[in-house]
Amino acid sequence: MTDFHPPSRKEYLLRQKEVYGRHLLGVFPAQYPREILWAMNVLPVEIWDPPLESSQASAHLQPYICSIVKLGLELIIQGKGDILDGFLFPHTCDSIQNLSSIVNDYLEVKKPCYFFYHPKAPYRESSHRFYIEQLRDLAAQLEDQVGALDYPRLNQCIDKGEKVASIMRELYSLRARGELGASNFEFYQVIRQAEFLHPDDFIPLLERFLKDSRNTATSQESVILSGVLPNPPEILNLLDELKIRVGDDDLLACSRRHFVPYTQAKDPLETLAERYFRMPPCTTRNSPIRERMVNLLDKVEGCNAKGVIFCMVKFCEPELFDLPHLIEE
Amino acid sequence: MGDDTVGKAMSLSRKIRYHFMKDMGVPGLMRFSAARKKRHTRKQSLSLGPPLTCNSRLKEIMATHYLLSRYAEGAKPVAWVTSGAPVEILRPFGFYTFYPENHAALCGAQKLGPEIFAEAEEHGYHQDLCSYARIDLGHYFSGKTPVGQLPKPDLLFASNNICQTVVYWYRALAEYWKIPLILFDTPYNFGEIKEGDIRYMVRQLEEMIPLLEQISKRRFHHRRFQEIIRIAKEASVTWGEVLSTMKARPSPMTIFDAFNHLAPIVSLRGLPAALEYYRALLDELHERVAQGIGAIRDERKRLMWDNIAIWYKVRDFSNLFAEHGMNFVSATYTYAWTETIGLLDESKPFESMAKAYSLVVLNNNLNHRLKLMEDLIREFQVDGLVIHSARSCKPYSVGQYDLKRLLVERLKIPAVIIEADITDSRAYSEEQAMVRLEAFFEALEG
Repeated sequence: MTDFHPPSRKEYLLRQKEVYGRHLLGVFPAQYPREILWAMNVLPVEIWDPPLESSQASAHLQPYICSIVKLGLELIIQGKGDILDGFLFPHTCDSIQNLSSIVNDYLEVKKPCYFFYHPKAPYRESSHRFYIEQLRDLAAQLEDQVGALDYPRLNQCIDKGEKVASIMRELYSLRARGELGASNFEFYQVIRQAEFLHPDDFIPLLERFLKDSRNTATSQESVILSGVLPNPPEILNLLDELKIRVGDDDLLACSRRHFVPYTQAKDPLETLAERYFRMPPCTTRNSPIRERMVNLLDKVEGCNAKGVIFCMVKFCEPELFDLPHLIEE
Repeated sequence: MGDDTVGKAMSLSRKIRYHFMKDMGVPGLMRFSAARKKRHTRKQSLSLGPPLTCNSRLKEIMATHYLLSRYAEGAKPVAWVTSGAPVEILRPFGFYTFYPENHAALCGAQKLGPEIFAEAEEHGYHQDLCSYARIDLGHYFSGKTPVGQLPKPDLLFASNNICQTVVYWYRALAEYWKIPLILFDTPYNFGEIKEGDIRYMVRQLEEMIPLLEQISKRRFHHRRFQEIIRIAKEASVTWGEVLSTMKARPSPMTIFDAFNHLAPIVSLRGLPAALEYYRALLDELHERVAQGIGAIRDERKRLMWDNIAIWYKVRDFSNLFAEHGMNFVSATYTYAWTETIGLLDESKPFESMAKAYSLVVLNNNLNHRLKLMEDLIREFQVDGLVIHSARSCKPYSVGQYDLKRLLVERLKIPAVIIEADITDSRAYSEEQAMVRLEAFFEALEG
């Protein structure tokens, strides 16, 4: 076990505004070019599973809408997002798509709402060109509020993103080999700080965690987590109690977005585009099921996992459509 | 014989069989079937007006389409297509197009949904998933269908302008069938449509052509494509005129009729049969308007329906509302196939297709639909609104609570929400629906 104490999110965010003059943008899942936001002095604050009880969201959303959308809306309605300067809605699924309109058009939030459409597979040459245009478009949307995108700064932020990815790869690799001393619960507690920490704070945290967590190899049995979130936390605690290691994951909130591939491109927008199309297979990008199956099987083999736990979010269509194939394979 | 020669002989024999069935076999079967049906006419509610004469022609067209589809495999390239996909690009290549959504709706209307999607659920497809998809996957696993046999596709052709679910569904099919999937990726219009998005869609259409040529073994014929665009546009405009006849008092047709008459513009768009059919239907409706013949005998209130039909309740609801003197004269769902297809322009086929297919109602923010509903309510003199909150259809359903609230506030009309599903009757509670509808009827009458 390491000695990790997560920062108070609210205090941290306030400090970002007051000391560093950063704009805080509430970002719904899942795919968005965070490097562009960093470069524009915007800190993305991802909204996945705020610890709230859903009550007022039901006035806007039917019972068959997923908890990520419901709780995200609840956060806004309850005013818990008042510290935020705006919201960003990537085009992840039908529910988030329509949520963006509910928030922007009907909630009177009095904060700007931004939208980011990313192309869906099967990809063609047009997808690549379009993605670069979308990156420029996002920067143009944000410009009125936060100022123009600085390209040299963007290059620096891309380097920071690669640094984060590099340390993540090392952490995941250690974990796969059973050489990470941290518990499953602690591992995800640290990894998920990516959802709101600025890379200038996240990189030192990761480096410290990496240094403190190295351990001699253990012979624990391992499993893979696949799905959206490593939730509920009780599952991680249970696995820790049973001395079962999570050897790897195929989680949307985690490895599917963090394993940013190395790129050779020089132009920053080309770099971001190349990364997007080479990210691990993901339902939110409509990656072919076969690619996801192969990726998952590689992970199973890579950490000698004895099983896969599918962490489903109820009503999540992108994931539920893949599930029968993955289980069968 | 070598494999290639066998393949060609098989294909040739199938082509011969297909054309025989198209020109002689199926028409003969249709005449026989029509004669049998004349001896077994279904009774209908006394509250309903005389049925449309065109109903029998519609059944013949769609039955022909399904029957002939059994002989398409191996004779023509077969494409399974989503309802919002730009099918016009497939027509010049001679694809026989099949619409799993239309098939699923048919299964739903015949109350076969639960039996077929149980097969998909047995294979791990969760019941929270779209029931159209579950029926289609259920058919894949079991072969069950009320139309005899479905043709195996050579290509899957989808557009996410109606929802993202079709993309996940067709991705699953592509994995099972091991065939190409072409996605026409239509960026969602968070605000106004953007030039960059139009360019992206135009490029996609251009990029598709080599693959379509490869699969169909036909070259792209630009003139033929332009002619198909013209026919599709005209059929869509004519469909719009059909719907406009429902502004008359009494309306010559109900939306429940329109749900059925939608089939040609969805499944046969770009083919002369759809255009010819809607011209005939329009003539009949004009005649009924001129003679004051209503779809229901006593039209006292006029209603609008939002969302896809509750297919297994279409007949029951048609009777129920007619008995209360209430006629559905407008619906966002039926309007979808005339709202934008009229933008098609044969002189700019790719650009106009990009706009037409991007601007469909479900690919726009909720304000677009709000304005559409307000306009339709005013134009069709609607007294009340029935909203189907369809569990399977999130792009249609998410936001309905706010739309209802705003329409009631602005237009001062009663509205009711029925929680149900398009084909999964397990999501429908007769008791709950009736309680809500009784209150709605009282509000309307009061």
